[in-house]
Amino acid sequence: MNGDAHLERIDLMLLDALQDDIPLVPRPWAALGTRLGLLEQEVLERLGRLRDLGIVRAISPILDSYHLGLMATTLIALPVPIERISDVAAIISGYPEVSHNFQRENTYTVWFTLTAESEERLGELLSEILARTGIPEGDILDLSTVRKFKIDVRFSHVLNGRLEEGHGSA
Amino acid sequence: MDPLDRRLLGELEGGLPLVPEPFHDIGNRLGISGEEVIKRLQRLLADGVIRKFKARINQRLIGISANALVAWKVPDTGDGDAGPLLASYPGVTHCYERTRVPGKWNYSLYTVHHGRTRVEVLDEVREISEKTGIRDYVVLFSTKEFKRVPNVRIGENGRGTP
Repeated sequence: MNGDAHLERIDLMLLDALQDDIPLVPRPWAALGTRLGLLEQEVLERLGRLRDLGIVRAISPILDSYHLGLMATTLIALPVPIERISDVAAIISGYPEVSHNFQRENTYTVWFTLTAESEERLGELLSEILARTGIPEGDILDLSTVRKFKIDVRFSHVLNGRLEEGHGSA
Repeated sequence: MDPLDRRLLGELEGGLPLVPEPFHDIGNRLGISGEEVIKRLQRLLADGVIRKFKARINQRLIGISANALVAWKVPDTGDGDAGPLLASYPGVTHCYERTRVPGKWNYSLYTVHHGRTRVEVLDEVREISEKTGIRDYVVLFSTKEFKRVPNVRIGENGRGTP
């Protein structure tokens, strides 16, 4: 698979443990180690390696957009012809208000999320993006967020699956 | 939140340093103690400013290569009931209700799924469909990722810069 052969069983357990909040204590890696039966130094070495491999991007706070004054968010889908996708996507990705931008298998080929302080600002940004990309407003889907039921990006089911199947060397 | 909270969150954006006492380290940069850093982080978590304090993982590198957004069409009155049910599946990382575009796109609930293969994701979606009785849905696999960053970045869009 995707270059994940170097992961040992302990790495998978460590990654799984890191899907939950890290302990807010003076020596968090020691606390994590106690839970997993590892020494602080070993936790640090493994985390350093996982970071160097690019597997762990960062261990950092994930912030709530509402609390930071970003009150409005929407998902936009555009029916961009295949040959224009990379140009259009590059324009869209250039906006700091865009956090996710994907090509998907559908008539609507480009899907991106837009987050801003107000609905008005979202509208302005969207108009600007459509003007710059030449996509008619009538062709798009503007799917405003009504309610968030869940935001919990964790891959425990996959990590556990790998552990059960005996992936990763002991 | 006070200005120091914002600076603290800004410092942490690049990740907790991999040293034995990382909060002490962060405190040094801000001129406060490690205990003060921990106290502030506990408050920010309790207040909901911080949703999670955990590792951001590059999913592709752990073998998760299939990613799908699934749009579900539920009866007009059913959104509220089906949302928590869809959200409860472990493979679902996001579950949102979104506005419909009448006559053009009548889906209102959205889930995001990650798996090692498309088959794995499709199996899960099919199972959820059977258990929830929501038969009308569309699976939108991603074929290219142009951008994926946290939706709040203190320095860039979180008004963190004084």
